[in-house]
Amino acid sequence: MNDVVNPAAAELPNQEIHQQIRKEYAAGFISEIESDTLPPGLNEDVVRFISAKKGEPEWMTEWRLKAYRAWLEMVEPDWAHLRYEKPDFQALSYYSAPKSMADGPKSLDEVDPKLLETYDKLGIPLHEQLALAGVAVDAVFDSVSVATTFRDKLAEAGVIFMPISEAVHKHPELVKKYLGTVVPQRDNFYAALNSAVFSDGSFVYIPKGTRCPMELSTYFRINEAKTGQFERTLIICDEGAYVSYLEGCTAPMRDENQLHAAVVELIALDDAEIKYSTVQNWYPGDEEGKGGIYNFVTKRAVAHTNAKISWTQVETGSAVTWKYPSCILKGDNAVGEFYSVALTNNYQQADTGTKMIHLGKNTRSTIISKGISAGKSQNAYRGLVRMNPNAEGARNYTQCDSLLIGDQCGAHTFPYIESRHPSAVVEHEATTSTVSDDQLFLCRQRGIDTEKAVSMIVNGFCKEVFKELPMEFAVEAGKLLEISLEGSVG
Amino acid sequence: MSTVFQTQQLAALNASNGWLTAINEAGKAAFAEAQWPSRKTEAWKYCSLKALADHAFDAAATASTTAEQLAEITQIAGLDAYQLVLVNGQLQAELSSAMALSQVSLFSGADAEQQTLIADRLQQARLQPGHHLFNDLNDAALADGVLVQIGKNSRLDKPLQLVSISTGDNHVVNSRVIVVLETGAELTLIEQFASLANDSSFTNNQTEVLVGDNARFNHYRLNLMESDARFIGTTLVDLQRDANYDSFHLGLGSVLTRNDLIVNHNVGGSHAEIAGVYVPKDSQLVDFHTDIEHRVAHCTSNEVFRGIINDQAKAVFNGRIHIHKDAQKTLAELSNKNLLLTNKAEINTKPELEIYADDVKCAHGATVAQLDNKARFYLQSRGIGEQEAQVMLSFGFINELLDGLKVEAIGDWLRPVLAHRFGRDQVFSAEQTGDL
Amino acid sequence: MISIKNLHAKVEDKPILKGLNLDIKPGEVHAIMGPNGAGKSTLGNVLAGRDGYEVTEGSVVMNGKEMLELEAEERAREGLFLAFQYPVEIPGVSNLEFLKASVDAVREHQGKPALDSVNFLKTAREKIKSVNLDQSFLKRGVNEGFSGGEKKRNELMQMMMLEPQLCILDETDSGLDIDALQVVANGVNAMRDPNRSFIVVTHYQRLLDYIVPDYVHVLADGKIVKSGGKELALELEEKGYGWLENGEA
Ligand SMILES: Nc1ncnc2c1ncn2[C@@H]1O[C@H](COP(=O)(O)OP(=O)(O)OP(=O)(O)O)[C@@H](O)[C@H]1O
Ligand SMILES: [Mg+2]
Repeated sequence: MNDVVNPAAAELPNQEIHQQIRKEYAAGFISEIESDTLPPGLNEDVVRFISAKKGEPEWMTEWRLKAYRAWLEMVEPDWAHLRYEKPDFQALSYYSAPKSMADGPKSLDEVDPKLLETYDKLGIPLHEQLALAGVAVDAVFDSVSVATTFRDKLAEAGVIFMPISEAVHKHPELVKKYLGTVVPQRDNFYAALNSAVFSDGSFVYIPKGTRCPMELSTYFRINEAKTGQFERTLIICDEGAYVSYLEGCTAPMRDENQLHAAVVELIALDDAEIKYSTVQNWYPGDEEGKGGIYNFVTKRAVAHTNAKISWTQVETGSAVTWKYPSCILKGDNAVGEFYSVALTNNYQQADTGTKMIHLGKNTRSTIISKGISAGKSQNAYRGLVRMNPNAEGARNYTQCDSLLIGDQCGAHTFPYIESRHPSAVVEHEATTSTVSDDQLFLCRQRGIDTEKAVSMIVNGFCKEVFKELPMEFAVEAGKLLEISLEGSVG
Repeated sequence: MSTVFQTQQLAALNASNGWLTAINEAGKAAFAEAQWPSRKTEAWKYCSLKALADHAFDAAATASTTAEQLAEITQIAGLDAYQLVLVNGQLQAELSSAMALSQVSLFSGADAEQQTLIADRLQQARLQPGHHLFNDLNDAALADGVLVQIGKNSRLDKPLQLVSISTGDNHVVNSRVIVVLETGAELTLIEQFASLANDSSFTNNQTEVLVGDNARFNHYRLNLMESDARFIGTTLVDLQRDANYDSFHLGLGSVLTRNDLIVNHNVGGSHAEIAGVYVPKDSQLVDFHTDIEHRVAHCTSNEVFRGIINDQAKAVFNGRIHIHKDAQKTLAELSNKNLLLTNKAEINTKPELEIYADDVKCAHGATVAQLDNKARFYLQSRGIGEQEAQVMLSFGFINELLDGLKVEAIGDWLRPVLAHRFGRDQVFSAEQTGDL
Repeated sequence: MISIKNLHAKVEDKPILKGLNLDIKPGEVHAIMGPNGAGKSTLGNVLAGRDGYEVTEGSVVMNGKEMLELEAEERAREGLFLAFQYPVEIPGVSNLEFLKASVDAVREHQGKPALDSVNFLKTAREKIKSVNLDQSFLKRGVNEGFSGGEKKRNELMQMMMLEPQLCILDETDSGLDIDALQVVANGVNAMRDPNRSFIVVTHYQRLLDYIVPDYVHVLADGKIVKSGGKELALELEEKGYGWLENGEA
């Protein structure tokens, strides 16, 4: 259905490129699930309520209140290149959980079948026998985690993978020690808000010298209307340990904008490695720019001596995206990587990139960013590479390419480079290109239709990033791009 | 909330009347309202204005200098040009050539037609992107300026050398230059800013250029002020159909040297070629902000800036390329390369692309690096000391840009100046190698 | 095979083809020569269905079908192949991936069974070898960073893979050294078949020593102004085109 032809496009000279058609967002269904939803509004009592709902210890409640008080004094940021209606923080509900979760299911068999069905529909079966081989999943529905698979198998290896709400009870020493150490409560407006009201998210701890036996992943789903989702993820990789973690996100199609303000903290101790991949497909709004998720996310990692952090993201969803997964390369020889594909279509706006802060000697970072803009969208790369006075021998390489499809969209690059060490080397390159008529004609002359040709060219453009994704998700990411771009080229 | 600097400058403004009143008033109102830039002000993020804010300036210049002193700092050996000298903002007829004087008009002596032209340019300038409070101050204080007008299909047979010298020890000079090239006209303009040692004056300059259809403008902007001088300058260039702008910018460095360059491609077919070098040392600060505005289709630009930062000095480069919605078929390139010589030196660079048209070819690159170790080793293996090798290679890094200068005399003159800055005196003089 | 009747075409409102007629029977090789800007490439582009070329009059019937009504990819699938004068680069899309998509689409349309990847690879390796390009070219982006001669050989290689009915070679010989020229000629000759026809656009008689044409036509100012046998090419090489435009045609 929904082959909507944009009338404005017909007037454009280059019909080949300008027909705007948008297929339905496949994850846009709403699940009819009874929920306990807090009435809209935010004050100290709401913060206490959330904390009480989770049965949190005193120190955690205080931690949240401290964040809340800091937030009250902060000013909502104004971003130069993003245009959107600012959320009304008193009109949002800060807690929503499926009723059936009230007492907490003990096992998958007790999970509401409707919830399981939701995840099945999204292609993420939670029954272990059906699940993707080798991938453990934590499913977060609105404010709570509904199920975590393969827990026993992971426990054998000593790996802790559970909702953060549960970790507060079961591993308070770890949570206390690391929570807020990478993204402090008052880091920025949205991080402070998250610290006050976060409801759930995933917690991962990989013990010393352990290679996590399977991929870990979390699927986030916003269902309830007028709620914000504020999840918090904390991953600690102890010395010499390794983990590969993937998150996926979807939301129903709703007319009003919804807020998603997450915080992700990664800690890679000496010689550890964390690979963090994201396939973000929040509802982007319709072809008129109505509805969609505001995705304001703070993601940051600390890499100690010889540690490695690798962020890979494929961002196709959300009405407005603001996120800069960052690496603080604290220890000598630490490595940071950022591979990103950000696609925007229709009226989507994305302002995304990374920060590589080189503190240690011989630290290295690589940034590969591929932005694709189509429709009337705006797509910006914003990055910071900082070489501190002690970053002897540090190196950065940045490549930042944009592909424009149609002349109604924008592609922007704002790389900040700050260097304070004479032996540090920073290299930044950026290019822009378009899918040209000549390229399309060559393909068509060889019998390949336009849609297929565009998909080949776009996938080719993103190749360097896709190869960083775990196998199964690379395929998924390619398909996602195809769907998101469907019809943006006549 | 205004700063001491703002309050002082506002108080020092003379009452205006006559045809510049409108611009004076507009500038004054805006300057009085202006927020003093901080680290949060994007355009001034890395450019500290402490050298202005913490400094008390006198209203007027006092120091006097001899003609010999001036001649020494205004001469570019080997350059055959018509020279025009301004001291502390005042035109010095006796130091200027008759030909140069005949080519320019002062705002104060402008006829009705020129007044209209000037007023129009001044109004245009207020609407430019990146317009900042020092431009407002310049408008507020504007009482006189230099107008260079080259008529249709005319050209000046030699470069025009416009030297601005600051000799007062503690005052503020607001200077203004307007250049208008009519259709097919051609001009080489050398703007040279100099100061006496220990002069801690503030020069706030603004130069506006209109390059008419098919006209060619070769522009050299040489900032050779001494270390204590404070300088903020803006260059606005408007390019008409098939116009050509070829320029070279030098920022030697001082306690504050800030340069904004805005180039507007207004009609199709124009080309801008921009090169620049900055070499701050000690605790100097040099900031170049360039902005190439591709407003229409079929224009091209190519920009190359290189910097070497020594000692505890700090350099800022912000190179923006803005491709507007209708600017299809634009070709735009920008490259910025930097060398840090010490671990107290600092560079902040941001090459920005902002693109709203799809059929364009744009690329930018920025690097911060140390000297090529292989090259250094090669020199050392031929018996050249490490220090010496470093100097030779650093100099080579910027010499590539000097080699490209169309007015060779400037390159020849600058080479020893810059080589000396890196602690090396030239082995061969220009005369010795002129035939090579 | 193909019958072009009274073809008129405009580019950006400028008439380029002005009543061109050409009849090609199966198995024939027709060479087209003519001065720069005569409209040779335009003819190829119009036949292949490129956007931006407006056909104002005439018809092009291939194997009983009116080509002018078909989309570019449909014409390709019907067996019309154009080897470009200036092949475009498609960075990021590998030659192999591109060829597979192309061969699949064409074979599917023609009701031929799809080639499985093993057979496909085998054929691709043979063909790339036969045009004297290294195997590594299969993995590189389509024409990305290829030299002029390599691009031309890559075009030929695609032609071999697709086994078209009508091959239009637009200056495939330009800029080739003699060895490369022989590679191209051998490739074309190997493909000559009673059921396949060729239009060979060239400026140089030299090519026609290797690919011997059945007919030579001169295209000038949007029309065929003279036709003859292969000896016409020699005459043109010697005298140029001036004598034709001076009314002798
Ligand atoms: N896209 C276009 N826009 C404008 N004019 C065009 C376009 N394509 C072709 N032309 C014009 O059409 C005329 C014929 O061009 P064409 O490329 O067909 O010539 P040709 O015979 O192939 O020449 P050559 O021997 O140089 O390859 C030329 O005058 C050319 O400038
Ligand atoms: Mg041609």
